[in-house]
Amino acid sequence: MTGLLRVCAMVCGLLFFSISYAEGDIEAGRIKAETCLGCHGIDGYNNVYPTYKVPKLAGQNMEYLVIALNAYKSGERSHPTMRSQAATLSAQDIDDIAAFLASGGEQ
Amino acid sequence: MSFIKTLAIIAIVSLTTPVWAGDKTAGEEKAVSCTACHGAGGGAPISPQYPILAGQHENYLSQALMQYQSGERKNMIMAGLVAALSAEDVADLAAYFASQSSALRTLD
Repeated sequence: MTGLLRVCAMVCGLLFFSISYAEGDIEAGRIKAETCLGCHGIDGYNNVYPTYKVPKLAGQNMEYLVIALNAYKSGERSHPTMRSQAATLSAQDIDDIAAFLASGGEQ
Repeated sequence: MSFIKTLAIIAIVSLTTPVWAGDKTAGEEKAVSCTACHGAGGGAPISPQYPILAGQHENYLSQALMQYQSGERKNMIMAGLVAALSAEDVADLAAYFASQSSALRTLD
């Protein structure tokens, strides 16, 4: 019985963590995401060397955006511009920006 | 002289056009293992940790697939799935997912 309670407590703990992790402030994100517009706010804007269009971000899944920004920040995902953009973002900044973008990203 | 001119034109055209022009119909047939996680048409991922692919830029999608292939972009699940894709497969898949509609769009 205590074993079962322990498992329940662990599951609840994990749920609590994953929910609080996924909270972002859309309004704060709106301000923090202004720099993103320089590339991601121009329809058909090209990355160069190699050439491809920068991805559409508005409406993307929030948790994916958090993972992507963290991967740029750590250098796991290599892109010089995105790495320097993400380098100084706090976990809260990343959550806020991701929440804003996922919400549709309307200024 | 005109032969050299023709050669030059061919060289320029082949350098400025993609190696493969993707076939979205072929891409749909090849996309079965993709849609298992990214959802129908790549527009409804089974986990919010996975990106929406539907409506994303075609050459961004092919770039991402090639980066998973080269290991430049790291993800254990994706690494296994892209390993056997040819350049034509990559182009077809990118063409298919880019042609699907979703809420994904450029920031205003």
